[in-house]
Amino acid sequence: MQEEILEIRNLSKSYGRLKALKSLSLTVEKGSVFGILGPNGSGKTTTLGILLDIIKPDSGEHLWFGQKPDSALRKRIGALLEQPLFYPYMTAVDNLKIIADIRGVHYDKIDEVLEMVHLSDRKFYKYSSFSLGMKQRLAIAAAILGNPEVLILDEPTNGLDPKGIADIRNLILEVSQRGFTIILASHLLDEVEKVCTHVLVLEKGEKRYSGPVNEALGGSLIVEVAARDQEQLQRTLRQIPEVKSVTRQNGIFVLDVHDDLSPELLNKMLAEQGVYLTHLVVRNKSLEKYFLELLSDNHEKTH
Amino acid sequence: MKRLIKIDFRKYAHNRTFWVLSALYVVLVVFVFMVTESFLNHVMTNVGKGSPIAIPGFSLYSFPYVWHNMAFLAGFFKIFLALLVIIFITNEYSYKTIRQNIMSGMSRVEFLFSKVIFVFFIALAVTLVLFLSALLLGLSHTENVTSSLVFSKMFFVPAYFLEVFSFLLMAMMFAFLLQKQGLAIGIFALYYYVAEPIIAFRLPAGVARFMPIKMITHLIDVPNSSLMKLFGVNFRETVSWIDVWGCLAYSVLFVAAVYFFLKNRDL
Repeated sequence: MQEEILEIRNLSKSYGRLKALKSLSLTVEKGSVFGILGPNGSGKTTTLGILLDIIKPDSGEHLWFGQKPDSALRKRIGALLEQPLFYPYMTAVDNLKIIADIRGVHYDKIDEVLEMVHLSDRKFYKYSSFSLGMKQRLAIAAAILGNPEVLILDEPTNGLDPKGIADIRNLILEVSQRGFTIILASHLLDEVEKVCTHVLVLEKGEKRYSGPVNEALGGSLIVEVAARDQEQLQRTLRQIPEVKSVTRQNGIFVLDVHDDLSPELLNKMLAEQGVYLTHLVVRNKSLEKYFLELLSDNHEKTH
Repeated sequence: MKRLIKIDFRKYAHNRTFWVLSALYVVLVVFVFMVTESFLNHVMTNVGKGSPIAIPGFSLYSFPYVWHNMAFLAGFFKIFLALLVIIFITNEYSYKTIRQNIMSGMSRVEFLFSKVIFVFFIALAVTLVLFLSALLLGLSHTENVTSSLVFSKMFFVPAYFLEVFSFLLMAMMFAFLLQKQGLAIGIFALYYYVAEPIIAFRLPAGVARFMPIKMITHLIDVPNSSLMKLFGVNFRETVSWIDVWGCLAYSVLFVAAVYFFLKNRDL
């Protein structure tokens, strides 16, 4: 039985008339990389804020490591929420010393984390002199200081260049391999897809989906096809029931196909109808497509 | 507690504003201590030029009166210390570092406690400045120094500590409640100089006596001097226990107010 690192029960929060969270419940297991997806205003940051005692919920409760929340437990959690927060007139190392003291971490670890985020040469520079990317990296360094068992990252790649984004992705993978748990809120769907084991989709404060990532992605394939006679191809495709949708993109048809129908079978069926493919590529269904579908489904239902 | 002191002090140690304001305060206060006697005497000689009665000169610095005199003078500058306290507490809100501290593993109670400790040490430091200045001035201006002379009326020194401590806790409360630097400074100053005096004026004397600023400033009354006695005015030369208990009670009240406010609030 997997150990539950975090359990949330019926969490609700309103800001005035705006209901940011409506009775949200979920559990996060140890060692998972848990992604939280949702459009702006869906309640991601509010949820994370409540978990870190920055925001007080209207009702509901949550348990960290099976215990009622306490500041001592937060020392086992590293977090980066929304934006880096440091004392501008102090150097990077002094800012990290404050965090080290709060958590009871030895100062030796500071050099380690600065090295990991490539800020060692900026150690003695004032925070006010940092660029956005450097500030973000320092915030990540602060979050991983002391090897916390759980990392909560809210848009960690914000403001980073592609190398920085790749570095963060590698860092996340490395940390998750060591058995630590990561909760990642992100807009970068393909990052979440590459890195997460589980995903929660939030919209307007409600849970739209929660479960393993491959379950979310499973059930269909994306296949690209093209043929010399496009009209004929299109007509034939329409007749195949397993083809869920057909979209035209740059002279190629992108199909959402039920995974009962293998590409080989599709090829055979089309050939039997006299359609010979010039292009056949199988792509895995992307989280982005799934995500947009899920949210638009809901819009259709409610409108 | 040591850990909280370490964490909090690091925040001020590297801040230039803190050191500049602190140094300015000390220089200003010590300057005033040293210069007031000759200033007053100068004023008095000018005033007394046309008078038939010989007006005695001020002697501020002899034991045991030096304690009262210096404590009274120092009291005028508490507003600068309040400025310091408000600046640094509202900074934690404007930089949002209070969020970072809480997220990293400090509880809200610990955060509040570390600020109370900050206020305590400021009050302690300025009391020390008062003590040393008055001691040195007293030793150099008294002919026959006896221990009874030195120690009598020394209670004004801890009274000053209480005055500053309570006053700064009130400033701390304004800072936590209002969270924005300009607003907190403005409203605190407004309350101190304008609002409470007006309210006190409108209330019956028995009630006004117990208002916070009144009690804090009432700890140390205007010192007597031979000149005042000449006019038949006699100020208190003691510290009243009502004021002491009142200030202690208000101190508890200010801290409690912040505690309850902080407890259930989004940061």
